[in-house]
Amino acid sequence: MGELFGYLDADWTAEARKRLAEALDPEKMNGITTSMADIYEACPDGRMRWMFVRCEGGRLASFEVGEGEAPEAEFRILGSYETFAAISRGELGSQKALMTGKLKLKGNMAKALRLAPLADRINKVLSTIPAKY
Amino acid sequence: MSYENDPKSPYYIDNRARVAAIQASMKARGLDLYLGSRPRTLSWVLDAFCPWRSYLAIPRSGDPVVFTFIVDSTRLADETWLPLDNVRAYAPMGGQDQVSVISAYVTEELGLSGGRIGAETGLSVYTPEGNLSKYEWDALEAALPGFALENAHELVDELQLVKDPGTMARFREASRMVDEGQKAARAALEGGGWKGMTETEIAGIGALAMRRAGSVSEWNFAGLNEISSGYRTALGACTPPTNRVFQAGEPLMLDFHSMFKLALGDYSHNYLIGPASKTLRRHADNFVDLVDTVLKAYRAGRTPSDMASVMSARAEALGCADYVYPGCEHGIGLFGDEWRIGARNDGPFPYWTDPDHVYRKDEMLICAMQYAAPADSVGFRYENPIIIGEGGCEWLSKFPLAIEEIA
Repeated sequence: MGELFGYLDADWTAEARKRLAEALDPEKMNGITTSMADIYEACPDGRMRWMFVRCEGGRLASFEVGEGEAPEAEFRILGSYETFAAISRGELGSQKALMTGKLKLKGNMAKALRLAPLADRINKVLSTIPAKY
Repeated sequence: MSYENDPKSPYYIDNRARVAAIQASMKARGLDLYLGSRPRTLSWVLDAFCPWRSYLAIPRSGDPVVFTFIVDSTRLADETWLPLDNVRAYAPMGGQDQVSVISAYVTEELGLSGGRIGAETGLSVYTPEGNLSKYEWDALEAALPGFALENAHELVDELQLVKDPGTMARFREASRMVDEGQKAARAALEGGGWKGMTETEIAGIGALAMRRAGSVSEWNFAGLNEISSGYRTALGACTPPTNRVFQAGEPLMLDFHSMFKLALGDYSHNYLIGPASKTLRRHADNFVDLVDTVLKAYRAGRTPSDMASVMSARAEALGCADYVYPGCEHGIGLFGDEWRIGARNDGPFPYWTDPDHVYRKDEMLICAMQYAAPADSVGFRYENPIIIGEGGCEWLSKFPLAIEEIA
C-alpha cells in the first residue's frame, strides 16, 4: 500500500488540489462558476472544519481546508465528519446523504440540482486519494 | 419558452407594481412578511402557472422569493418574471424541506428574529384553494419562534378585485378562444353530426379547437370541459363528460374552458337536439330571457343580492322561478381565483360571496346561471365572464345568446 494522507490535513489538501486541477475538465464541468463550502461538524478532535471549493469557468480556482468560519460560498453543506468521510471514501453518495437528512444544504436547491453531478465529480476525484480517517 | 412581458403588449402586467401594492398593504397592517400559498396569489404575483404546492414569501421590500416542488422549479423559473435566484425548490433533503427553506429564508436571509407573518387560510367550496394547512401553520410557527402567523389573505384579495387593462385584455383573448371551441362544437353537431356522438367526444372537439386557437388548458377542476346531455342537464352542478350518446329530442349543455396567460375563458352554451318538444322549447325560451335580463342589469353600483332579485323577479314573471338556482354569478381572476365575490369576510356567511358587495368599474365576474327542471329531464347553464362598467357590462364571450334546435 502506498502513502496514506491524513484526511483534511495539509498534505491531503495539497494532493486533493492537484488531483482536482488535473481531473476536472472545464467542458465536462459545463464551464460552471460556483462555490461550495462543506462544514464538518464533530471532527474526531471535537473541532469544526470546512472544505471550500470554488470553480470558475469550469476550472478549479480554489480548494482550501480550514477551521473556524468558512468562507462565503454559494452553497453550504452541513454534516458530521463521519458523513463527509464516508462520502470521500466513496462509501456514501452525497445525494443519498442529503435525502436521508445526514447532510443539510443551505442554498437554492433549484440551482443545486444542476450542480449535483458536478459535486459528484469532485467527490469522485477526492475518493481516489488514499487517506486515513 | 422564457418569460415575455413587453410593456407595449396589450397583455402587459406590471408585476413589480403588484408586489409594491402588497408591500404597501403589509406595511399598513404591520406585517413583516407575507406568505402566499393559494394558486390565486401565486398566479397574480408570479404571472406564471404554478400548480404544485408553493410558498410565495413577500418581504417588506424587494422582490419576493417562491419555493416550489423541486421537479417543477426549473420550469417555473423559466416562466416567471422573478430572477432565477428568487425561484427556489424544496425537496425531501436535509435542510431543503418546505419548513426548513422558508424558515432559513426568514431568519438567515432576511435576518429577522421575530415579527408578524401574514398567511392564507380560510374556508372554500373550491377544493384546490390552497389555504395553509394546520400542519403547515403549526410547523412554521414551531420553526420560527418569535414570529406570529396571522390570516391576511384579504390583503391580496382586495387588490385582485379591480382588473388592470392587461388582465382584461387577456380575458378577452381567452374568451375569443373559448368561442372558437363553441364554433367547432356547433359545426360538429349540426347536420346530423350529433348522431352517435358522446359527451366526451364533443368535449374533445371543443378542446382541440380552443388549443388550436392558442388556449393552453381547459383548466377547470370540475371536469375540464363540462358537458351534460339529456336528463344529466338537470342534475345541476359540475359534470365531467361521460360516454353517454346523444339522443334526439333532448337538451345538451357545453361548458367550455380555455386559458390564455392565466386568464380564464368560461362559456356555457345550450342546445336542444331536435325535434324539441314544446315543453323543452318553453324552458329554453325562459332561460334565454332570464340570462338576457340579468346580463343587461349588471353595472357598477349593483350588488349580488340586488342581481339575484332582478333574476328572481323575472323568473317569477315567466313562471319558472321553481327551476332557477339562487344567485347569478361567481368570482373570477387569474388561474386559481374563482368563486366568491368580495375580499373581506364581513358578509353573513364567512367565505361566501358577500351579498352586499358593491360592484365597481373594471371588476370582473362570471355571470353564472343554472336552471333545472328534473321532472322534464331538462336543465341549462349559462356562464360568461363579464367586465363591470359604469352603465352596463361587457360580456366577453361573443357567442350568440340562444338555445337553438340542432337538427
